[in-house]
Formats: sequence, C-alpha cells, structure tokens
Amino acid sequence: MSHLSSASPSAAGAKPAAKHILAIDDEAPILDLLKEYLSSQGYRVSTAGTAVEARHIAEADAPDLIISDLQLEETDGLHLIEQLRALMPAKPVILLTGVLFDPQVVEENLKWKVSAYVSKTAPLQVLLHEIRRLIGS
Amino acid sequence: MSTDPSQPTFFGDRTLRRVLAFFALIAAVLVAVVAISLHNLSRSIATSDWVNHTHALITELDALQPTLAAAEGELSRYLLTADARDHEAYRDKFAELGERVDVVAALTAGSPEEEQQFAAIAEVLARRAARASRISTLKKSGDAAALQQFLAEDAENGDQRELTRLIEKFREHQTGLLSSRDRASFQQAQTMRWTVLGGLGLDLLLLVGAAWLIRDDLAARRQAARVLQQDKEQLEARVRERTVELTATNARLAAQNLEERWAKQAIEHQNRYNLLIIDSISDAVFVVTKLMNISRMNPAAVHLTGCEPAELIDKPLSRILWLAGDAGPAKATFDPLARTLVEGHELRDKSAFVATKGGQSTAVRLSVYPLRDRDKVVGGVVVLQAVPPVSS
Repeated sequence: MSHLSSASPSAAGAKPAAKHILAIDDEAPILDLLKEYLSSQGYRVSTAGTAVEARHIAEADAPDLIISDLQLEETDGLHLIEQLRALMPAKPVILLTGVLFDPQVVEENLKWKVSAYVSKTAPLQVLLHEIRRLIGS
Repeated sequence: MSTDPSQPTFFGDRTLRRVLAFFALIAAVLVAVVAISLHNLSRSIATSDWVNHTHALITELDALQPTLAAAEGELSRYLLTADARDHEAYRDKFAELGERVDVVAALTAGSPEEEQQFAAIAEVLARRAARASRISTLKKSGDAAALQQFLAEDAENGDQRELTRLIEKFREHQTGLLSSRDRASFQQAQTMRWTVLGGLGLDLLLLVGAAWLIRDDLAARRQAARVLQQDKEQLEARVRERTVELTATNARLAAQNLEERWAKQAIEHQNRYNLLIIDSISDAVFVVTKLMNISRMNPAAVHLTGCEPAELIDKPLSRILWLAGDAGPAKATFDPLARTLVEGHELRDKSAFVATKGGQSTAVRLSVYPLRDRDKVVGGVVVLQAVPPVSS
C-alpha cells in the first residue's frame, strides 16, 4: 500500500482517462451514430470502415473494447476479430450486426470469438449495457 | 439624474422632498433667530450708548453744584484776602463751572426736553456767576459798604435752593429714564434668550424629524433591497432548477433522437439486407397476396419471364403460370395453389409452365410457401426452378 501513499496529489486527484472504443463497420452512417452516442456517454471512440484501417488504429492506439460488424467490405468480421485478438488477446469484442443470429448459435459458435453479440435492430441502450458490463463506464 | 422614466426624479422622491422641507424650515428658523439677535444686538448697543450718555450727564450734573460751591468758596477767600492769586483761583473755578455747563449743554442738545430742563439750571448758574462777578467788581473797587449791602441782599437769595431743586429734579428724571431703560434691556435680553433657545430647540426638533425621516427611508430601502435580493435568489434558484430540467430534457431528447435514428437505420439496413437476399436467389421468386396477385418478383423472375416488375406487379400470377395438366394460362386452375395459402400448408416441387413475354412457355418446378405473420397467413412465396432441357 506504500506506493499508493506515495502517489502525487496531482495524479491521485486527476480525472481518469476515457475508455477507448474501436468501432468497425463499412457503413459510414452507422459509425457516425455510434461515435456520437458513445462519445456522449463519456467514451473515446475511433472508427474504421475497413479491416486495414481497423488494424492500423489498433496497433497505434490499443482500444479497450472493439465493436465490429459481421459483413465488411473486403473481409469477414469474425476473421478480423480473430486477427485483432491475436494483437490484444484480453480485449473484449462485441459483434454488432444486422444478421439475426439464433441465440443458440451465438452461445455455441461465437462465444469463443466474441464477448457479446448485439443486433443492430436492438436499441442503443442494449449496446451501452453490454459495453458497461465489459469495460465499465 | 436618472433618465429612466420608471425611476422617480430628484424632486419626485417624496421622502427627499420632506427632508428638503425640514432643512428649509431649519434654515428659516436659523435665519429668523439670527435676524432677531442682530436686531436685539443693535438695540443693546444703542441702549448702552444711551446709558453711557446718561451716566455722563448725571456725573456732570452732579459736579455742577460742588464746582459752584468751590468757585464761591474761592470768591469768599478772595473777599477775605483780596489776594490776586485768590482772585485768579475764583475766576478759574468759575471758568471750570462754565466748561461743565457747556458739557452738560452739549449732552442735552439731542433732547429738547432735557435742553429745556437744563436751561433753567444754566440760568441759575449764570445768575450766580453774574453775582460773583459783581462781588468781585465791588471788592476791587474798594467800596466795602456797597459790597456788604450786596452780600446782605444776596444772602436772602434762594438761588442755591432753586439750583438744588432743579438739579435734583433733572437727576431724578434721568435716573427714572435709566431705570425704565434697564427694565427694557432686561426684557430685551430675556426675549433674546428665549428666541435663541426656542430657535435652537425648534431646530433640534426639526433635525430630529429630518433624521427620523432619513432613517425611516433608509430602513424602507434596506427592506426593499432585502426583498429584492430574496426575490433575485429565488429567481436564480428557479432558473437553475429549470436549467437542470431543461438540460436533462435536452439530454433525454438527444438520446431519444439518437435511438430513433439508430432504429431507422436498423430498419433500413434490415430491409435492404432482406431485399438483397431475395434478389440474390438464382431461382425465380414471386411474392403473392392471398388472392395470388403478384406483389414482388426478384431479378431471376424478371429474367425467366422477360417481363419487368411494372408489367406484372398487382397482376394475377395465373396470367403467366399454370400447373402441368392445365390447358394454359387462360384456363389455369389455381385451386391447388390458392387452397395451399388458404389452408396454410406448403406445396413443393410441382410441374408447371411459365409464359414468357415472347409468347413461349418454359417448364419449371413450382414450390409454394405460405407467408405467416403471427400465425396468420398474409400471402405466399412462389419459387420457380427452371427445368433444364432434356439432352437426347
């Protein structure tokens, strides 16, 4: 506990940095909405429209959480998630897609690859609930 | 001075007007007291001058008889000694008497009454001086008998008694005037004292009144300022509360707006995806109503029939499709197909024919699937697979 007592007052009293979220989707309106909403909830949001862009951002500024669509322009979202997981194995991933998966499919096939699955037809509150569950406010 | 019409002007303030009136009264009382005091002071100075004048008159008057007595004493000495020095002395004394008479005459010159009174005294004194001169002449002449006779006649003369009486009367008159003037001065001093004290008291009362007015006004203004401050604080508190409410409402509306936009894009995305799925199917797909009218067809159906969607939408499917065994589209029996939708079960892999735009017919394999919305059949999906031509 000695290191805590020796912490500088400025560091102890400093506001914690906002959690970084990387959102990946090939549709720009989706990314804009996600950025607007999650920023209003206090998160720092980076967006990527392609897998290449997503990898560059993840390498330069490691996110605390990744949100990815399933259908991307040049690759499969799950494949990209596997690549990103190789870079940062401990980071949680949310699959956000309009493809309606069967809950049993999600439970049996996707639970090893993603931390959570949220349908694009679900309200943003549901996504926010999952984000807070995984990385906090 | 304020230019705001809602604020009272300098002379429009009631309290200010009252205070100014009080101070005007104070000034008026002060001016009155000063005027009265100055007037009384002038009168006091005049009285003092008159008193000094009267005292000087009385003093000179009192000195007349002793001077006459001294002069007649010197005369008597001269009569006895016949010395020239005594003669000179008696003449000096009578000269002194004459000077005193001149002084008293000058002092009484301002009052005709006094002048008249003293004229009688001066006449007696003149007679005494004339007597003395006659006696001196007789003495110088050496006529002792005439001198003796004159002295004998003079002894019965009542001039001394007359002189004493006149001087006493004059003196009493002056003394009486002094007394009445003393009384008047006393009254005047009393009046002046009461005037000053009264003016001072009145001014103090007016000052107290003005101070009370000012204090009262200040208290009212402080109270008004307090009330205003309280109202301002209440208003600020209400504004803060309202701002918080509006901020929260704004945040809710913003979140609601974001949710609505998200829901809209989700619906659009889902519709687009569903259409994409149907359009990507290589088999011809027709979506029909319960009455077997075409509501949608995919690109494969367009390719198969050669007809654009505008030509077939809302038209009966029987126009282009009939089951094998039927005579053609005109005589197509869609009883099995329609019955399928009504009964809500599927029809799979039936032989059928499709009429193309060019007038030809193409063999297909037909499947019909009811469209259910909450267990209610709302239409159907008809899938046609082209039958490849049989190779010989």
